[in-house]
Amino acid sequence: MFAAITIIIFISGRWDLLALLLTLFSPGTELPSPASVWFEAEFFHHVLHWTPIPNSSESTHYEVELLKYGTNLWESMRNCSQPRMLSCDLTMATLDLYHRCYYIAKVRAVDGGQRSNWTVNSTHFSINEVTLTVGGVKLEVYNGSIFGTIHPLRPKMAPAADTYESIFTNFREYEIEVRKVPGQHKFPNKKVKQENFSIPIAEEMGEFCVKVKPSLSNRINKGLWSTEECIILVATQQYFTATNLTIFFTFALLLGAALSYCLALQLYVRRRRRGKLPTVLVFNKPTPFILISQISWPETHVTIHPLDEEAFPKVSPELRNSELHGSTDSGFDSAKPSLQTEEPQFLLPASDPQAKETMGKGAPLELENNCSSGCSTSTDSGICLQEHSLCPSVEPHWESQPGSNSQGEDDSGIGLIQKSEGQPGDIQGGSALAYTRSLRPEVPSEDDSTTVAFQGYLKQSRCTEEKEAKAECLEEESPSTDSLDPTCQTCLDAEAGWPPPALAKGYLKQGAPGMTLTPSGTSVEQWKHPTEEWPLLGLTSCGDLGTSDWSFGHVLAPLDRVVAPGGLLGSFDSDLFNQQLMSSLH
Amino acid sequence: MKAQRVCLCLLGAVLLLCSVGGRSLRGCVVLVDIRRMEQSFQDIKTAIQARDTLQNVTILAVSEALHSVKPFDVCCMTKNLLAFYVDRVFKDHRELNPKILRKISSIANSFLYMQKSLQQCEQTLCHCRPEAANATRTIHDNYDQLEVQTAAIKSLGELDVFLAWINKNHQETSTA
Repeated sequence: MFAAITIIIFISGRWDLLALLLTLFSPGTELPSPASVWFEAEFFHHVLHWTPIPNSSESTHYEVELLKYGTNLWESMRNCSQPRMLSCDLTMATLDLYHRCYYIAKVRAVDGGQRSNWTVNSTHFSINEVTLTVGGVKLEVYNGSIFGTIHPLRPKMAPAADTYESIFTNFREYEIEVRKVPGQHKFPNKKVKQENFSIPIAEEMGEFCVKVKPSLSNRINKGLWSTEECIILVATQQYFTATNLTIFFTFALLLGAALSYCLALQLYVRRRRRGKLPTVLVFNKPTPFILISQISWPETHVTIHPLDEEAFPKVSPELRNSELHGSTDSGFDSAKPSLQTEEPQFLLPASDPQAKETMGKGAPLELENNCSSGCSTSTDSGICLQEHSLCPSVEPHWESQPGSNSQGEDDSGIGLIQKSEGQPGDIQGGSALAYTRSLRPEVPSEDDSTTVAFQGYLKQSRCTEEKEAKAECLEEESPSTDSLDPTCQTCLDAEAGWPPPALAKGYLKQGAPGMTLTPSGTSVEQWKHPTEEWPLLGLTSCGDLGTSDWSFGHVLAPLDRVVAPGGLLGSFDSDLFNQQLMSSLH
Repeated sequence: MKAQRVCLCLLGAVLLLCSVGGRSLRGCVVLVDIRRMEQSFQDIKTAIQARDTLQNVTILAVSEALHSVKPFDVCCMTKNLLAFYVDRVFKDHRELNPKILRKISSIANSFLYMQKSLQQCEQTLCHCRPEAANATRTIHDNYDQLEVQTAAIKSLGELDVFLAWINKNHQETSTA
């Protein structure tokens, strides 16, 4: 049937119809050919792709042939004729691509006995068709910059001599893109002409991702971006360098050595101080949390020795009103009236037991009654001064216990109580104590029993041989500067017209230089006049002191200043006097 | 000592002259943007090469003719091929597509510029030896065996070959 139709068309001269009939019924031309064929190539990775034919079956496969441009030999690629294959790697067949060769490939479909027409790739496959890529990027951070190294691709199919650098010897370029994570902040792209690059990241921290795209400045080859390589930039990375760590540890060692030296020095100093510290000054370390009731003051052992009243001699009333009472040694005003009727602090032991009783009872009362009103209440030194006029009856006189040598113990500041009896006791019996006797030349009052309390300290110089000298002094009214005891001389000189010293109660004031004592042995009449002139002064006569050893001297004031009128005191044997003072003190 | 110094100075001068003259002896320096021409051709390559139906025939891609050219013949060969394209290929091709025509005109103008640059070289610097003459004759013979339109379209389709050859020979020479 087909042949008959062919003959008829051939006789009629319709050649077009004849060609159409032969095409439709020719074997192997039923399959459509692939629509397009193209190469996709990277460096030493050449893949031919084609589009499948429509309505292909499972048995449909494709045939590939390759032609080196300018030759007549098409090479069939049998490894590409696998069923359902739509691409084929032709790298091994196109290795000369990089050596100025061009390739042309064609593909046709085959299904059973049918084959399609060939489809030829539209463009010549040349080196210009290769898309450039890189093998990888390695990143490092150093000194605040990112250092990158680009590794070119090393395909396994490439011959050993055909490397990226050898094929593309010159004009290699790489475009670098940096992106900070998180976010999409991108830094300006940088182009470099070598495989090493650096990106300064000044004072920035975080994660940075870098990708690279190769290119050739003399070719039109396209490039592909590499995969992103990320690196984390941390501040500690900049600081924890070997140099910084070395410097840090060095300073730490030096600081530790300095501290240990200071501690050792402090310990050494403390040990030395503890060795020298007196034990009495060592205090127990107070505990911080102590209740007020539990606070214990540092214990200081204070021993109070009761005053032995008997150890102190009686003081005659005359002494109470002596001029020395106005001495400034104790700070008292010498012009002050003599003290009298002071409150007795201590009662001098009396030789007469009756007097003692009287002393113990009456004196304080009388003193209180008569003298309390006029008593200046200066109690800072324990001495109370009183006017003589207020207590005229109180005429203390010194009286000492026989054999008592403890009168010198007045240095301890114990006030002596004057005995108001008319009998002046022996003040001393050879005692070394020196008493200043500023006595008024007054006759002891009728109230001999009155006792006057001496508040304060009375210190007088004593003579060692007073008794005889005093007796002579009292009896002989004309003093002899040579023979008499200096005390008597002083007494007589005082009698000559010196104002009688105020009566010392307890503590005899030292008067101005030149102060002298008046003897108590003088007549009352002679001394009355001074008393009248100085009614405030209570002076005892020398006669009152006759029976008592008395000696005078400036205990507190230096001997130099004591210049008696007429030089009596000046003729004192200062050495003797000092010795007596020293002995009395001891 | 003085004689030695003089000898060394003369030797240095000779070497300097040789290095400078070597570049000039190899060929003229052509300053042209090859990459721009390649990009222009890349845009029309598919259309031009699609019209070439004779895949087993080539005019330029002949390894013996083009790739066997010696460095000393590069200048002569470049000048002959530029003349081939300007005098025969661009004139024989009839292009109806304006986009393709624009690209072809751009390439042709670049070839004219290069041809004038080479004509300014001294004859001694761009001397043609027989090897270069023979290679040029082969190319013309291949062009003449085909139909004019087919030959022209095929020659236009092989511009990438000619441009790659120029890029390789002249840039490698200048960087050496």
